[in-house]
Amino acid sequence: MTIKVLAFAGSPRRNGNSEMLLDWVLASMIEDPEVSVQKVPLTEANINICRGCNACEKLNKCIQRDGMDIYHDKIIEADCILLSSPIYCMGIAALPKALIDRVQVFRSRKYVLKLPVVPPERRGKRLGVFLATAGQDWGHVFDAAIPSVKCFYHVIDIRDVDISYLMINHVDEKGAIEHHPTAKADATRLGKSVIAELKKRLAA
Amino acid sequence: MGVTVLGISGSPHRHGNTETLLDSFLEGARSAGASVDKVVLRDLNYSPCKGCNACHKDGECIVKDDAPPLFDRILAADCLAVASPIYSMGITAQLKGFIDRGQYLWARKFVLKTLDFPGDHMSRHKGIFISTAGQDWSHVFDGAFPSLTALFHDAGFEYYDNIVASNMDEYKGIKNHPTALKEAYAKGLDVVRVLEKIKAQ
Repeated sequence: MTIKVLAFAGSPRRNGNSEMLLDWVLASMIEDPEVSVQKVPLTEANINICRGCNACEKLNKCIQRDGMDIYHDKIIEADCILLSSPIYCMGIAALPKALIDRVQVFRSRKYVLKLPVVPPERRGKRLGVFLATAGQDWGHVFDAAIPSVKCFYHVIDIRDVDISYLMINHVDEKGAIEHHPTAKADATRLGKSVIAELKKRLAA
Repeated sequence: MGVTVLGISGSPHRHGNTETLLDSFLEGARSAGASVDKVVLRDLNYSPCKGCNACHKDGECIVKDDAPPLFDRILAADCLAVASPIYSMGITAQLKGFIDRGQYLWARKFVLKTLDFPGDHMSRHKGIFISTAGQDWSHVFDGAFPSLTALFHDAGFEYYDNIVASNMDEYKGIKNHPTALKEAYAKGLDVVRVLEKIKAQ
């Protein structure tokens, strides 16, 4: 059994705090020999914004030809999908928001065309992980990002209850998260628990 | 000096529900005698914020494209109306990409302390968010407000009002909504009168 993990690193800044958090989770996942990880930095993914044309409601596909041609299929194939983003201006950064808006094609498939996103036997066997960092130390700094994250996972057939969150505030300068008292340990624990849960579900 | 109103359309879809609602607001403002400008983000060329934090050192954005000149126009306006449809429970990536580029204003305010909006500046500058959503949920706009708050406050605007219309899927478009376009027109008229009074004081 191979467990397919697909990870979108959403920060425009490479190897910054949110990507470091993602890397810690992935490192703990990949310790398991059955796990295969693909990490996609969105800076290199060539994903255009959604044009709002609604053509996918009729065509069941997007009329744009770009990186989403590849990631559309990978999103369906993956057992676990991670997304990391910094918080900019109290919301998710623009790059991951572009990815989230482009999964509209799955929404059209699911709710307009009433077609399955994943085969019925795989439903409930996919998990999501959202990772975020913020410079601000406010407790509510992640609140506005969550509805879009839930929307993203919902339309790709990952249920609300199957999304894990690890969100670290008060880390701003590059590398600040390395000095955070619990972030690395929490990320490591999260990676392991998600893989353990997936194995349980896939075996069932 | 007359009241200046700047409308920014953050919808990738031209002349759709959100832009039509913005147009109605701007029409109201124009009828009240304001000088009105409209910018469509789709026609501009700008990249998202790179998160490089260079602006934290000198208050300038190192990316030279259409975003900083638009922020200059924002800073010169009395009223700023920003419009975006709700996509996936938030503002569009197009508008978010622009808002994030205002980081250099935030840096001027809070890191370098070279930008200050003294006294009653904020109450003399009104920011209005205009939006539509396909969904019928009352909370469908909630994820949008905090980023608009960030934009308005960083640029010196009081977050004055929202003009929002949900359930577009059901109505089959803003033109069939019973009140939204009239409300937007009335609010455009009203905010200009309020700003005229403030300016006359």
